[in-house]
Amino acid sequence: MLIKLLIAGDGGQGIQTMADVISQAAFMKDFFVSYIPNYGLEQRGGSSLAFIQISDRDVVYPKFSNPDILVVMSDDSRKRVSGYEHKSVKVIDIKDYLGILEKNSIESTSYNIFFLGVLAKVLGNNQIKLDEEIFVALEKKLGKKPNWEENKRIWDISTELKNEKTHSN
Amino acid sequence: MVENLAKFCPGCGHPIVLMMLHRVLKQNNLEAQTVLGLDIGCSLLAWNYLPVNTFQTHHGRVVPTMVGFKRARKNSLSVAYVGDGGAYAIGWQSLFHAALRDEPIMVIVVNNTVYGMTGGQTAPTTLSGQITPTSPCGFEGVSLHGPEILRQVANKNAYIARTAVNDPKQMLDFIGEAIAAQQAGHFSLVEFLSFCPTNWRTAGMGTLKKLEEMRLVYPVGEIT
Amino acid sequence: MKKLMTGYEVVIQAALDADVESMFGYPITPTCEILSGWAASGKKYLQTEDEIAAGFGVCGAVLAGEKSFTVSSGPGHILLQDSFSMAEAMRLPAVLVIGQRGGPSSGTVIYSQQEVMLACFGGNGEGLRLVYSPASLSELYLLTRRAFNEAWKYRYPAVVLTDGYMLKTRQGVDLGKMEKMENIPSTSLLPDNKVVHWPNIYTAEEELNAVLEDNKKDYEKISSEIESCEKFGTDNAKVLLIAHGIVGAVARMAVEELQKKGVKVGLFRPITLRPFPKKELDKVCGWKGIKKAIVIESSFGQLARVVRDQLAPEIDVSFGYLQKPGLGIEVEEVVDFVKKLKI
Repeated sequence: MLIKLLIAGDGGQGIQTMADVISQAAFMKDFFVSYIPNYGLEQRGGSSLAFIQISDRDVVYPKFSNPDILVVMSDDSRKRVSGYEHKSVKVIDIKDYLGILEKNSIESTSYNIFFLGVLAKVLGNNQIKLDEEIFVALEKKLGKKPNWEENKRIWDISTELKNEKTHSN
Repeated sequence: MVENLAKFCPGCGHPIVLMMLHRVLKQNNLEAQTVLGLDIGCSLLAWNYLPVNTFQTHHGRVVPTMVGFKRARKNSLSVAYVGDGGAYAIGWQSLFHAALRDEPIMVIVVNNTVYGMTGGQTAPTTLSGQITPTSPCGFEGVSLHGPEILRQVANKNAYIARTAVNDPKQMLDFIGEAIAAQQAGHFSLVEFLSFCPTNWRTAGMGTLKKLEEMRLVYPVGEIT
Repeated sequence: MKKLMTGYEVVIQAALDADVESMFGYPITPTCEILSGWAASGKKYLQTEDEIAAGFGVCGAVLAGEKSFTVSSGPGHILLQDSFSMAEAMRLPAVLVIGQRGGPSSGTVIYSQQEVMLACFGGNGEGLRLVYSPASLSELYLLTRRAFNEAWKYRYPAVVLTDGYMLKTRQGVDLGKMEKMENIPSTSLLPDNKVVHWPNIYTAEEELNAVLEDNKKDYEKISSEIESCEKFGTDNAKVLLIAHGIVGAVARMAVEELQKKGVKVGLFRPITLRPFPKKELDKVCGWKGIKKAIVIESSFGQLARVVRDQLAPEIDVSFGYLQKPGLGIEVEEVVDFVKKLKI
């Protein structure tokens, strides 16, 4: 079993925080995990990408060109990862959630928390149930920050969504 | 004026320096004969920025490259564009000797007290007590005054000065003088006190405040 | 016990566990985090004016009997050949950790396997150095520990040749058993009981030649204690894959997948590039059933050159190559490549 997850957003949206939390959660549940951020000359202000793999055995290579799940959190990063949209990839795209985000008054600075929740559900559909562990890791990281109650609210909303919207190619 | 979308961080001082340089070049019809050499650091991001011939070199090696270029093409305006690390650390030896030999190149040093591109490590111009990834307890070294030291060995007709990115008039002035010095056959260097909010982890007023701190350590003006 | 660790943290941990006392360094991506991590450790650290000074700083510390190292990549690795040549000439146990990035010149700040020549044969010497190529984070730890031990035990400079991907990857690593490795202590190269006079330049050609012959003899004597490799599925293999580092790990997984489909393929993975595990290479390539040996690397043939040079001249193997300089190679690509061979 090997799930390849690529998260893409603008620098500053907290993509690497999401990746860190997911890695810790998967690790907590005794999965083999691998995580590498994109890095290079354009790292500041450009797109921020995180390559995460969750497996039942050692992961040998940290990058991949054909993710199973692709999370797109901004217009610029959507362009950046268009080459990663292969045949059976499940795409979680922010443009499909704008309504829900607005309806629930979710600020853009907390989009990453929301999509962590959506991801938890999608991973659950792929036999990787990490809801609890992701929440624990999230609390460990952000629990002492001032807007923790708000982040909790957003987590509850996203994990209670009845139909998470993903589209496949 | 700008040909391509900039890749500099929001709030960076480089675009200001480059814009000032371009203004003077354009005003004096010098775009065609100017050749801009870049170091490897944040300066490398200017490779496709101005409508002048531009090339990247190696970290710390833009000065010797432009020395070579100028010697081969005397009627060029040879500009070496470099950060404080490329100029005063790894490139110091070459810079020092270029000044010593009065090589007729123009050196622009963009000083933001850190190694920007690699994440903000200490540089020769880091301020006393400054916290960086490689000075977690505060910088304990000496803050290098490059232009002042070079003045000791430079030709009396070489032009050496320091300005800051929040003084447009002075920047334009000094750039003009530096170009004139090369045209008269001499070395010139202008250091620009600049900012790096990304690595300083400052915003708005915080960034400007730090620039003012720098001015107290590195006085602006012509160095005679 | 397993712990989530990033590659650069593994390097720092290994150096700390090896009782290393100092690091000299200059920031260059993708090795900067090793610098800042070490600076925060409380151990001695100097950020020098450039990599030339860093390398000679390490040589100086080592001459004084202190375990020391530096880390670099690409253009910095080039500059380090200056000091590393001196270390080679004087047999100083200087240790270098290299995170390969794209080349030549400033290339990319990311990844490659294009510094094999530099690490193995850089400078103006004869490659009398120890070069280790880890294929996983736990091997990165192990080989960094070995580098310090073997450099000090046998008195040759050592390079841990990893890459940007490995240094920036975060995975669960179990260092438990490996942490208990014994450390070879450092010794002063200027002993207290006598005065040392130590040249590295000689008046006559014969003098230099004599020194080199001695150093080479020693090197060959100890090679069998250092050279290491992994052989996976090489018995009865018709196709032999040869790869090192992270690409070696990928090739291994490709071999597993191909074997499941009944393809008779095996992997020869050198773990030390210097001294190269040539006896094992000859054994594996010497088997008459081998139809093709494919050297796979993120370079235009730097590993291939080493392999062909090390292979005994009387062994005749048909070589093929999968070369992607500066680019990573995925398991599927290797599997497809082998399938297309139709062997």
